[in-house]
Amino acid sequence: MPERKTIRVALAGQPNAGKTSLFNGLTGAHQHVANYPGVTVEKREGHYDHDDRRYDLLDLPGTYSLSSFSPEERVAQDELLNNSPDVTVVVVDSTTLERSLTFLAQIMQLGANPVLALNMADEAEEAGQQLDLEQMQSLLGFPVVETVGNRAKGMTALREAVARAAANPVLRSRLVLGERMDRALEAVVDALAGTDLDSGGHVWTAVKLLMADPMFTDLLEAAGEPGRRALDVARNQREKLEADTGLDVALFVSERYYGFVDGLLKEVTRRAPRRDARAISDRIDRVITNRVLGIPFFLAAMFAVFWLTFTVGEIPMGWIEAGFKSLGLWIGGMWPAGSESPLKSLVVDGVIGGVGGVLVFLPNIVLLFAGLALLEDTGYMARAAFLVDSVMHRFGLHGKSFLPMVTGFGCTIPGIMGTRILENERDRLTTMLVLPLMSCGARLPIWMLLVPAFFAPPWRAPALWLIYAFGIAVALVLAKVLRRSILAGEEAPFVMELPPYRLPTLRGAVTKMAERSWLYVKKAGTVILAVSLVMWFATSYPKPATYQLDRDIHAGKVVVVTVKGKGAPAALAAARARAPKGTAVLTTNEAENRRKAEDLRYSTAGRLGRGMEPIIGPLGFDWKIGTALVGAFAAKEVFVSQMGIVYSMGEVSEESKGLRFTLARDYSPLTGISLIIFLLIATPCMATVAVTRRESGSWKWALLQFVGLTVIAYVISLLVFQIGSLLL
Amino acid sequence: MKRLADLGLVTYERREYIELTPEGERAARRVLSRHQILTSFLSEVLMMPAEAAEADACAMEHHISDEAMDRMVRFFEFMRSCPNPEPGFLQRFHDCSIVNNELPECPHQCNLRKGLNQEETPLMSIADLKPGETGRVRQINTSGSIRQRLLDMGVLPDVDVRVERVAPSGDPIWIKLHGYQLSLRMNEARAVLVTEPP
Repeated sequence: MPERKTIRVALAGQPNAGKTSLFNGLTGAHQHVANYPGVTVEKREGHYDHDDRRYDLLDLPGTYSLSSFSPEERVAQDELLNNSPDVTVVVVDSTTLERSLTFLAQIMQLGANPVLALNMADEAEEAGQQLDLEQMQSLLGFPVVETVGNRAKGMTALREAVARAAANPVLRSRLVLGERMDRALEAVVDALAGTDLDSGGHVWTAVKLLMADPMFTDLLEAAGEPGRRALDVARNQREKLEADTGLDVALFVSERYYGFVDGLLKEVTRRAPRRDARAISDRIDRVITNRVLGIPFFLAAMFAVFWLTFTVGEIPMGWIEAGFKSLGLWIGGMWPAGSESPLKSLVVDGVIGGVGGVLVFLPNIVLLFAGLALLEDTGYMARAAFLVDSVMHRFGLHGKSFLPMVTGFGCTIPGIMGTRILENERDRLTTMLVLPLMSCGARLPIWMLLVPAFFAPPWRAPALWLIYAFGIAVALVLAKVLRRSILAGEEAPFVMELPPYRLPTLRGAVTKMAERSWLYVKKAGTVILAVSLVMWFATSYPKPATYQLDRDIHAGKVVVVTVKGKGAPAALAAARARAPKGTAVLTTNEAENRRKAEDLRYSTAGRLGRGMEPIIGPLGFDWKIGTALVGAFAAKEVFVSQMGIVYSMGEVSEESKGLRFTLARDYSPLTGISLIIFLLIATPCMATVAVTRRESGSWKWALLQFVGLTVIAYVISLLVFQIGSLLL
Repeated sequence: MKRLADLGLVTYERREYIELTPEGERAARRVLSRHQILTSFLSEVLMMPAEAAEADACAMEHHISDEAMDRMVRFFEFMRSCPNPEPGFLQRFHDCSIVNNELPECPHQCNLRKGLNQEETPLMSIADLKPGETGRVRQINTSGSIRQRLLDMGVLPDVDVRVERVAPSGDPIWIKLHGYQLSLRMNEARAVLVTEPP
């Protein structure tokens, strides 16, 4: 028996055609998601077996046509043209055949070996549409199957069709675009024969040259003298076509594709869909998206997702936190009590703490993606974008940026992962980069500590409100600046489809949730864990050999007493009264906190904090704040506990009155404001950096975000503190 | 054929199509009666009476340069062979400025006043339509990715587009065509020029 080679199958189609659900239906769990190199376009690969053969499946990004305006389009075109798959499954939405079949026409023109999957066949049937598949198949010359992706129906038929297409490839699907166009194409193809471009793509290249596609023009300009000659031929033909038809070629070609689809549909339609196919959907829209109720309903929907993600998410988060805490205690119990073993500290504080720190976000992510799946699969997301686009657009963002940004108020991590709903790369990157400015839930403990410390009671609520508003303002301004500078470029079209309302399926939602969660744990989780370990080391090592406290005890300057139970305050007072003048009396607890403070001061983090003093001094910060800022990189809320340790207060919470009092005593309100601004804008936590790296596909954006935000925070805090100092 | 090719007037690759080179095209046009073309241009486009057109064509044909002649011929052919992108353009020109001795500056007003040409209403963009109104696409007046996206979405000449609703702030708008629905920002909507459907 001859060696049977693996068959490479690509899945192509327009957005919303249900490509991904077909992909999931075909491959099941055998899939792998990564990014295409250098772009934020997601590359989804998988495989399945059929009749003892392996089929490698590649899900191309959804695009409305095969052109080269966006990274998604370039990737899809490039895969089909240069890595020519054995079979290309073209997925179309059966309810909008007129439009979606033009995409098939382009695939045919490109010279692929297609299989047509008429997806959402159930909806089309419900609307009364009936097609003659036999007729369609014989006219097109390749297999046509009906599928229902979100219910995984028609998968066997599709697998068989792919096998048939692989066995009998269409050598040259001929698309008749009319005599004029054919003549022009032929002339350009002839000219291309002189170049060293792969001949398989000549017809498509010719079409694109006639349409004056800049990417193909550049390609030929790089191909030397024969390339330039072909370009000349193409230019002549284009001018001739335009003179003859009075239309520019892009429009002419589009009309031809529509003409082809129109003709095809006339031949194969047994019964046209009834006109009221969208009647129910339209009736819902008349209420949900009208001018009066549109915004209130939108806000309610956003609130619902937020509530689901964070309020409901808090419950399992509590379980995870408690679980890891008891796990830490249990494992810590394997060492003798009071052990100072570095291994124990590494396992309990470093590893278990780090893994816990990764998994604690998981409920948020699962629930956010459940909410997103609900909004997207019902079709409401496009409507939400429609309603708020004008506001977001003013700042260079997209209507759909709204939801990830709102999510950012709960936690930046799911917010950044949620930017996936944005189709355009620049929109996505802009939203991702400014997202940490949405004051997240982990920063709330910091505000609860600092605001009461530095503001009088009547000013506390307005101050808190101002913090949030200031973050939003900086984010919007920054988005605008980004779109004018590094993310400048032609604005992506907002021309967006508003699909009819659909009932979401559990299968779709669960798949999305599981996939996102797994990606988070695997890709971002490893980085977060690694940084956690580094942070653990930085705050624990090196350890001082001797403690100042012990030397003081030795010198008789400090006396430590052990007091316990009800009589403790009285016993302590008595000890104080007994002590000679100039000698401090500490409880064992207080002594332990002193040692911890000395540990931290001596550690890498403490040294960093002290090393930073000349830099952060102009902001009004001292080394103690610097040390806490280093800790805040691990997670924002760590700032509070680090401050507690530096001030020898042991474990503190934001409610700690003592710490508030100490802060108010040691720092001016101006330092407080400067510190709040710095913490609001600067240093997204390490999990943010890791997730940005994962979602943007490169360290470049993650580092830009980290450095950029830190610099902006520094400058604003510096200005506030310095100008404030001059005025006061 | 070979002789024409040697003269550089035609190129013929393969069997099927014969193409005139630019030189050949000009030569052919010279051969084609200048007189005839000038006469029909004067009478059909500029609406001159037949005898006057004939006489003026005689006067012109001996003095007009090849270049001017060539361009006039191109324009004339273009007018005849291509009703798109703005059908009835010539008709409006006739209605307004020549036949009726109107000033040619404002064809819209002229059109409305005369009530001529019932099927040709002036161009407006879908941004000008109110919710519930329908327009027939005539032109897509933009370029690059927005144009391509509009074409991909089926916004093509002769397609009817209905404005369903407008976002609370007036931008973007929500349109319906071919039975599906799209949203467009105002700056995109302004590029889609429509007339009232018949």
